[in-house]
Amino acid sequence: MYDFIIIGAGIIGTNIARELSKYPFKTLVLEKENDVANHQTVANSAIVHAGHDPIEGSLKAILCVKGNALYEELEHELSIPLLRTGAFVLAHNDEEEQMLRDLKVRADHNGVPTSTILDGHTARKLEPNMSDSVTQVLSLPTTKVTYPWEVAFACLENAMKNGVEFRKNQEVTNIKWVKDRFVVETNFKETIETKHVISASGIFSDQIAHMLEKDVPYTIKPRRGEYYVLDRRVKGYLERVLYPLPTSKGKGVLLVPQVHGNILVGPTSVDQLDKVRTTTTPDGMKQIKEDAARLAKNIPFDKTIRTFAGIRAGSTYKDFFIQESKEFKGFYHVAGIDSPGLTAAPAIARYLVDEVIQPNVEKKENFDPFREEKIFFYTLSEDEQKKKIKENPLYGNIVCKCEKITEVEIMEAIHSPLGSDTIKGIKKRARAGSGLCQGGYCENTVLKIIARETGQSLDQINYYGKDTPILLKETKVK
Amino acid sequence: MKELICIVCPVGCHLHVDDQKNITGNQCPRGLKYGLEEITHPSRIITTTVKTSNPMMPRLPVKTSSPIPKELMFEIMDRIGAEIVTKSVKMNEIIIENILDTKVDIIATRSLNMLES
Amino acid sequence: MKTHLLVIGGGAAGMAAAVSAANKGFDVLVVERDRELGGILNQCIHNGFGLKEFKEELTGPEYADRFMNQLNEHKIPYLLSTTVLDIVRKDHFTIKCSSVEKGLFEIEANAVILSTGCYERTRGAILLPGERPKGIMTAGSAQRYLNKDGYLVGRNVFILGSGDIGLIMARRMTLEGANVLGVAEIMPFSNGLTRNVVQCLHDFNIPLYLSHTVTDIRGKERLEGITIQEVNEKFQVIPNTEKSFEVDTLLLSVGLIPDVTLFDSLTLEIDPITKSVVVDQNYETNIPGLFACGNSLHVHDLVDEVSNESKKAGEAAVRYLMHDHKNKHTLIIEKNENVRYVVPQTIAYNQLEVEHIELSFRVTKKISSAIINVMQDGEIIQTKKARYLVPAEMLRIAIPKDKITGISSLVLAVKEV
Repeated sequence: MYDFIIIGAGIIGTNIARELSKYPFKTLVLEKENDVANHQTVANSAIVHAGHDPIEGSLKAILCVKGNALYEELEHELSIPLLRTGAFVLAHNDEEEQMLRDLKVRADHNGVPTSTILDGHTARKLEPNMSDSVTQVLSLPTTKVTYPWEVAFACLENAMKNGVEFRKNQEVTNIKWVKDRFVVETNFKETIETKHVISASGIFSDQIAHMLEKDVPYTIKPRRGEYYVLDRRVKGYLERVLYPLPTSKGKGVLLVPQVHGNILVGPTSVDQLDKVRTTTTPDGMKQIKEDAARLAKNIPFDKTIRTFAGIRAGSTYKDFFIQESKEFKGFYHVAGIDSPGLTAAPAIARYLVDEVIQPNVEKKENFDPFREEKIFFYTLSEDEQKKKIKENPLYGNIVCKCEKITEVEIMEAIHSPLGSDTIKGIKKRARAGSGLCQGGYCENTVLKIIARETGQSLDQINYYGKDTPILLKETKVK
Repeated sequence: MKELICIVCPVGCHLHVDDQKNITGNQCPRGLKYGLEEITHPSRIITTTVKTSNPMMPRLPVKTSSPIPKELMFEIMDRIGAEIVTKSVKMNEIIIENILDTKVDIIATRSLNMLES
Repeated sequence: MKTHLLVIGGGAAGMAAAVSAANKGFDVLVVERDRELGGILNQCIHNGFGLKEFKEELTGPEYADRFMNQLNEHKIPYLLSTTVLDIVRKDHFTIKCSSVEKGLFEIEANAVILSTGCYERTRGAILLPGERPKGIMTAGSAQRYLNKDGYLVGRNVFILGSGDIGLIMARRMTLEGANVLGVAEIMPFSNGLTRNVVQCLHDFNIPLYLSHTVTDIRGKERLEGITIQEVNEKFQVIPNTEKSFEVDTLLLSVGLIPDVTLFDSLTLEIDPITKSVVVDQNYETNIPGLFACGNSLHVHDLVDEVSNESKKAGEAAVRYLMHDHKNKHTLIIEKNENVRYVVPQTIAYNQLEVEHIELSFRVTKKISSAIINVMQDGEIIQTKKARYLVPAEMLRIAIPKDKITGISSLVLAVKEV
């Protein structure tokens, strides 16, 4: 019997797993997809927000500011990429300048450590591509950008190192409270017993909660956001994250420099009923271009390599819902985690464990917080690269030419503790296929490396999910 | 009344063929010849691949040595699909002789060295 | 490692350039990232190549073989499985390379030819809407899986883009047992050779939907279906023209883009229409000693033309090695509204070197009858009549070098008559 089952291995579930692994609990993470981090975690702006816009006193505000600071710790312990971009919130006229001042007051109340109002002229010296019509900005130097799914991998890897179990392709189909424990049923008709259940199930939070509670105190309201991804060769166009003033719909369309040099432009914010359809639309693409034009000039949209959409788990509760079930003690809701969920994730985990669960056992003495350093080969100096090639000549084989990813990095993505044998899983971990040609050149080689390393035939290799082979069948075989 | 596009030159005349096999629409005599052939015995060169036993080159590109009757295309594909090359071949070497009794051979369009790995 | 002339890319262009530069008193070295020479020709197993170059109709591999033989006859050395990472220019070029065999290493060269071909335009670059399931790939990728590895990528296929690659794959997939439900083309005419429309589509009753594009893609994990819709002359989607298809595969044949992204350390002048480097009549870029040819300079219709152009680039590189191109003065070639692009874009008028300067260009629309004029200072210095001009077919006009006088720009004007 487990002490805890965590439902969902996104950014929240993996952070919670890590936090729980500090205690001598028997913990299991169940994930319904074929990989760690599949939904919101892989479709967001990647920003670690300063905490300037959530409503004062809300959990969103408190945990965003706390989480922002905790990312420094994550970077040090887990070797996650963290780009200290800073940010500007832009105002174009008197009315907006007043809103900016209100925002600064809110930022101060929320405990954002540094923020300053700069005039447009000074700001433009720092960001020459910022729109000419900007009159004033709110500078938020604690804003950072990370690589969200890498953070999830790192947290779960570390949790597993400290004893947490993980099972993917396990969809929770029912939860029952029987006598003195929870019985969790999965799509394999398997039942697992546990003392506590933590639901970090994102978009499906209300459905999971409904398995137990008749009256779930929130309903998830899906909200789709679309993005452009610009090729990493636009690096240098922008240093900071650029925000418009927030509205009731959310933070608006942003310009976000990414860890590896790309720029994200987006997201839109459109309510939809469907929880899984992540389509991009011509209207969405048009909206992004229109809105982004207010932020910066000559945005290099001609360098678009990809567009994508994600669905936020918006909630009728309007704040993070991190509470123990009133009816079923031991069931914990961690629901409605939309923006600033990525930023707040480490703080949400601590808040859940320290303040809501309040374990009555001591933390483990032998908890190991560290993950081995993960370095992308292309970031190393020539001398360091030569050294690595001496140790392993396969570093000399550049598989993904666009992003300069080597064969060794791909093999590590297959064989690491949270490795993957799918094309997209390798793309998430090693970045092969993330560049200009979007795998046009390297997918063929990545496929062959996966087949070789896992002993499968080429037509068994999946794109992402369990039954998504890239190749249909070998020809000319009877 | 059948309609064809002549492919002999870039103009691409639209040819019309009536029931008496009269061809109109061509702007030169080559189009006439092409049209006649297309309606009497249309034939095509097939280019495809044949399976090999060499894991470094699992498929060897091949072609028909001359055009084959169009209606035999899929049968010929099936016959080629049943073949496997197990020894080294040179460019233009015959892989299948007189395929399906058409007097046309299937020849390699690339050489294959079985010893290479 | 040192050489005089480094050729980056051992496909059709690279081999032709290397062969024409060989045995002229300078060392030539070819670097290729794949494990064999030949480039894209290796997977183009269909015929139609070589009619001009060899007066024979050859398949891709056969064409490649001819040049590989020439390469070997001239004893030109080449490195396989070697990726170029960057090029730095000081008084010579330093090309940073990587391979398993040699690790990270540098090649010093006095001149460099870029013959790196193209990559295929992706779904993201054309903002194709809908979901992102597996089952969507470029036609060239599917071609490689099928022709080299022997795997079919899907059973029920739709193809977006009627360029030659899309048409060829329509036939190829059908012959190997797939069911190709149609080809959609956003233009009102096919981009590919007419013979391909006939032999790849008509032969197999595969419908061609002109003035159509894909407007929806369905399927969360696996592609389940697509919708196409008609577009008007402004390429806006026309409502109520939806046609849906249940497919597991969507192949994209929506354009080739020159692969000229090697150079974080070089600032190259780029032509926004060709999306490649600007060159003069010697195929030299704005960086002295750096040349480009083949598809990486502009997308060709026939490999024969790639070979023709690349031979000239190789010869020009040799001339450069003999006497540096210092103090180059260039004039610009302007174009009228009927010309989409012209290569070369400039002429180095104090280094005319060749007897004839050949301009390659494409028109913006179908023109049945035209007069092509090259003018300088308002005077027509070269003229040519032509019929049945289409954007899908590259055109050429040659200017004798003594017709170019002075330094004012040339104008390439195609006039409809």
